[in-house]
Amino acid sequence: MWDAFGFEFVNFYLIPGLVLGCIYALGAIGITLTFSILRFANFAHGEIMMSGAYLSWTVMAIAGYAGLTLHPLVAMVPAALLVILLFLGTDKFFYKPFRNSETIKVVMASFGMMLIIRSAVQVIWGPNQLTFVRGIAKPNPVLSDLSSDLGMMLIIPNKHLFIFAGTIIIVIALSYLLNQTRIGKAMRAVSDSPDLAHVTGIDVDKVIRATWIVGGICATAAGVFLVMDVQMLETTMGFRMLLPMFAAAILGGIGKPYGAVFGGLVIGLAEELSAYPWIGDAPLLSPGYKTGVAFAIMVVMLIVRPQGLFKGRSF
Amino acid sequence: MKKTLLVTTAALLATGSLADVNIGNPMGMTGPIPDLVAPMAAAVDLAAKNINDQGGMFADGQALNVVRADSACDPAAAIDAVTKLINVNGVTAIVGPVCSGPAIAQAESVSIPAGVLTISVSASSPALTMMEDGTDLVFRTTASDAYQGVALAELAMANDITDIAVSYANDDYNAAISEVFVQAYEGMGGTITANEAHEPNKASYRSEVATLGNTSENLALFSYYGSGGITLMRNALETSAFTNFIGADGMLSDELIEQIGAENLTNATFTTAASDSSTPPYAAWKAIADEAGVPASDPFVPNSYDAMFMMALAIEAAGSDDREGLSEHLRAISSAPGELIYPGQWAEAKAILAAGGDINYEGGAGNQDFDKNGDVAGNFSKSVIVNGAWAAELIQ
Repeated sequence: MWDAFGFEFVNFYLIPGLVLGCIYALGAIGITLTFSILRFANFAHGEIMMSGAYLSWTVMAIAGYAGLTLHPLVAMVPAALLVILLFLGTDKFFYKPFRNSETIKVVMASFGMMLIIRSAVQVIWGPNQLTFVRGIAKPNPVLSDLSSDLGMMLIIPNKHLFIFAGTIIIVIALSYLLNQTRIGKAMRAVSDSPDLAHVTGIDVDKVIRATWIVGGICATAAGVFLVMDVQMLETTMGFRMLLPMFAAAILGGIGKPYGAVFGGLVIGLAEELSAYPWIGDAPLLSPGYKTGVAFAIMVVMLIVRPQGLFKGRSF
Repeated sequence: MKKTLLVTTAALLATGSLADVNIGNPMGMTGPIPDLVAPMAAAVDLAAKNINDQGGMFADGQALNVVRADSACDPAAAIDAVTKLINVNGVTAIVGPVCSGPAIAQAESVSIPAGVLTISVSASSPALTMMEDGTDLVFRTTASDAYQGVALAELAMANDITDIAVSYANDDYNAAISEVFVQAYEGMGGTITANEAHEPNKASYRSEVATLGNTSENLALFSYYGSGGITLMRNALETSAFTNFIGADGMLSDELIEQIGAENLTNATFTTAASDSSTPPYAAWKAIADEAGVPASDPFVPNSYDAMFMMALAIEAAGSDDREGLSEHLRAISSAPGELIYPGQWAEAKAILAAGGDINYEGGAGNQDFDKNGDVAGNFSKSVIVNGAWAAELIQ
């Protein structure tokens, strides 16, 4: 069954789709948590992702001066701490004052934050692209040898293996946090009903801080995975991921982290697989319209099942 | 009431610099090609500096101001930027924007309705040729891609590439040049094995290159380096989908070498608008550019200088900074008959114009004689990597 056709499908469509899906998934987790606990669509999320990637790049560059070669996944740790501080700072000064007013105000505040963060990054690091990793990524030789012995040739570069592993670890850690720990249960309670949660003695402010921390870690990871994949940094890259991530969050159901992961994978796969020549030799859909696929799915979902696949909140 | 007040304030602001001549200069300072734009902006500033150093504008030596704005190589951003330049800054004319999409968008929705003359420095889409609709308000100092696409097809043929797959970014510039290329190439007997658009700014193009890579060894890539071109090329190299690459100036950047590595780009050739470096005007341009530390032969840099210099000449010839009737003067100063004027010769040109004489500007980028659509003819060069850097060679 494993012929040239399968080789091409798995290596050039399925795996890139999963890589993209992992990145969307991690970003969508942050979006869905903020949406359910703080009740607003955080437009600055993409820029936070982007700034996380820039901070990781800076950590790697500084370590490089000291003669150390840091792996992006290591550099991600201090970067995530800074991103969490950035998240908590923006919440304190820009979102908290609007917490009891209409949602539209805080949505606009987040829109403003998006522009502020992007401009700040352009001022600090410049508008030019930065190289994250130079050259082209060769496939992992061990994996391709091993798989070709088994009669199927897998060509996956190391960067993709790291992205898969990183995403799996973060999702497992997140599910432990939400299901087994006190703060995780409190987060779910606030997501269901903030007033009721407050009455039962849950510290809502603490839950909000926890939300930003979880969102910050996921956003940094998503940003770093994105630059690991494309190997360069660019100031609008976070914004370009924002809308597909919203689509993923809505597809999975607002407030459902697993839904966000599932939605991210579905959107990532749908974008890549729509260009596969399912019928005949030509791509099913011209790759020029890939982005449209994510939004078509989102619009159909909002009409047919507004609460999302995982029965999230509907608005 | 409030609105009237706003309008009055805007008018006051605009007239604040009444004694100077203001030219709006929207450039893609951010966006997908900032590396290419930075030296172009420097060339515009250099032209203004030369003019101000040699007596400024008009008999009373008014200063020429460049009012820069960021068009971000994006139609929406360009419309915002040019609207502000025209309505708030009250500029006399527009030099820029750099990318074709924004140049067309701003001309259609802002500068043509406002009756403001535009000279684009690098918008090369064939779509720009016929868009003025009889208003004669849009000019450019770079040749239309209707010519570059043909030059590229000839280059492919000369390199014995007989079949090729085409991938172009879905925007005004890249879609138009790829269309010209496909027509010219097929006309010369080549085979286009596949022709697909790609969406700019995606994180991955593996499925695109896989689909196209099945059909040919060779890829004609029309994309901006900063909005997906580099990623697409990297994906194509990673998956060994293609061995030979050709393309147009959107991809020609040091950033490509920096990110992908010269050792991986041995089979890549890109064309760009170029200057014939053997002409006297080019020598004059190179002398002043070298002195000012501006890279004289970089893509569109002489074109940028020429655009600014000619716009100033047109305003000088008109004798006032009014917007009306400038295009007639622009045609007069750029073509025969008249005394030849080369880059940097502002004082000479000013003296001749003051005496009521005719001038004919010839720039570093070419003779800059506009045809009836405001287009110029041009030369092209091909660039390949030699010793880790792009080396350009003029295509004859």
